Amino acid sequence: MNKSVAAINDRIKRGDAVVVTAEEMVEIVRERGEVEAAKEVDVVATGTFGAMCSSGAWLNFGHADPPIKMQRLWLNDVEAYSGVAAVDAYIGATQLSETRGFEYGGGHVIEDLVRGQEIEVKAIAYGTDCYPRKELETTVTKDDLNQAVLCNPRNAYQRYVAATNSRDETIYTYMGTLLPNYGNVTYSGSGALSPLHNDPNYETIGVGTRIFLGGAQGYIFWEGTQHAPTKAMGTIMTIGDLKEMDARYIRGATIEGYGTSLYVGLGIPIPIINERVAKTTGISDEEIRTNLTDYGVPRRERPILREVTYAELKSGRVEVGGKEIPVSPLSSLKQAREIAGTLKKWIEDKKFFLTQTVEGLSTDQVFQPMRQITAAPVAKDLMTREVVTAKPSDSITSAAKIFSKQNFDHLPIVDEKGKLVGIVTSWDIAVAVGTGKRRLSEILTSKVIVASENEPIDAIARKLETHGISGVPVVSTGGELRGILTSEDISKLIGRRRR
Amino acid sequence: MTKKVLLKYSAEKAKKPILALIIKETGTLMNILHAKFDAEGGEILLAIDAPDAEAKRAIELFEQNGIETKELKRAIQLDEEKCFDCGACLSLCPTGALRLTDDYSIELDEDKCIYCEICVPSCPVRALEISKF
Repeated sequence: MNKSVAAINDRIKRGDAVVVTAEEMVEIVRERGEVEAAKEVDVVATGTFGAMCSSGAWLNFGHADPPIKMQRLWLNDVEAYSGVAAVDAYIGATQLSETRGFEYGGGHVIEDLVRGQEIEVKAIAYGTDCYPRKELETTVTKDDLNQAVLCNPRNAYQRYVAATNSRDETIYTYMGTLLPNYGNVTYSGSGALSPLHNDPNYETIGVGTRIFLGGAQGYIFWEGTQHAPTKAMGTIMTIGDLKEMDARYIRGATIEGYGTSLYVGLGIPIPIINERVAKTTGISDEEIRTNLTDYGVPRRERPILREVTYAELKSGRVEVGGKEIPVSPLSSLKQAREIAGTLKKWIEDKKFFLTQTVEGLSTDQVFQPMRQITAAPVAKDLMTREVVTAKPSDSITSAAKIFSKQNFDHLPIVDEKGKLVGIVTSWDIAVAVGTGKRRLSEILTSKVIVASENEPIDAIARKLETHGISGVPVVSTGGELRGILTSEDISKLIGRRRR
Repeated sequence: MTKKVLLKYSAEKAKKPILALIIKETGTLMNILHAKFDAEGGEILLAIDAPDAEAKRAIELFEQNGIETKELKRAIQLDEEKCFDCGACLSLCPTGALRLTDDYSIELDEDKCIYCEICVPSCPVRALEISKF
């Protein structure tokens, strides 16, 4: 059985199209099968409302008098890219305010524009014969702009990984706050309501597809950047008129310790053109799997702990290593449902018609890593391997002697097997004087911040900075001491890089 | 209904087991939600799970023992205008004071909140606020 988009639009016009949400479709396909469902249902409405960092807006300000060719531009102190002609600019969601930092960014500027608020504009330029002006300050609302177009390079990931953290400290990521020792799990995406997961073969979604975008009607105009359909990580590029959008579905956001972003409400109508599409729109949360990934490892390839389904994630608890871990959705499931419902109503009310795609989207595109011409150094490349160590049973006096002869401040304490059990600093020795303590075991710090042999230097530098320490012991996976790495070693490397 | 009472101790009063004495005397169930002391004294945030009259009696006893008391009405607020139910806060809440309802709304049960404040900065739209008192 095949239906054309034109035939479905005719039914919408006549007011007898059958439109259901993707959640309702799960039940219909489960009960009646895809053959019946394809006959019965014309359109399935999907929805998602998540943080989509790869978002931004094109703005055109019109010309000033005397005119300026804006070389650099700030909107409410957030820099926008203006290297496109004179008064066009792109404001990106993750660009931070130069005065308010993480509390305000490009995402917030976009939300404020949608709300009709006044935006402070500051620009500088080098001045030309045709554009003599070098400085400009003004305020605008969206009504003063010729165009304000939301134009997002990568939206609506088909699904995304779930995140947790193996480290013994809290980390702040774009996947939210991750508590120590697998203390919580976060995920994004609306599962059964996910727009791209309802048509993963791109039979109906393509260039030219009309969609719900930020509360207005927008379009898909290309595959999204990092589109990876073979890994169920497809994405889309979207565009729509910001002036028509609703701030309920376009929200600036601050992600703690990470930066700013933009929550975007997006829904795609899937025309049920055949039984295959009916079947894919019937996909349930139980059938959508993703990888629970350890964000404690700051590498491109993060370890995968296990596979989880969206049904498990949505239940609020996921099992990791025999423990039940609490889960945070980062995208709003409530608003995803609301968006699918709104899209359904628009179609039923004949306010929204489906489009036939102009081009398909790639189904075999791969997402390649960055080409790097130099390898990023890791701990073992820079660490000092000959390390003076002591045993817990050694006397404090003997350690004092070591410090007096050598030019360092950290003395790693190892057991008979060479395993790191603690650290003693010259300061600890100074404090111990006159306390009557004799053995290093009495004064050592057993909770030591360490690095692993293959840990990137950039990650270690961040560790030193966050903890305010000047060096870390480098240990093997078994905990044996392999070397020591100090901020001095890292400074030397940077010195070499600069030269 | 649980009453939340903030007790302010001077350095001198902090030396005496006043809380223990009052629990012993009244037999009222009291739970310490939060406590902070230093050289200048400190404060205890107490949850008293008892009928009104009984809770009032306990509060009077604290006052008689020279402890300043203040009953807290609303200490944490969820701004429902700002909140769009993303749930970033949910898995950070150690007591389940923040939870997801069946229709995927975020619900705040103030009685369960221990004011750890972990949720506050995690909110992407700053909808959670702890009032300082």
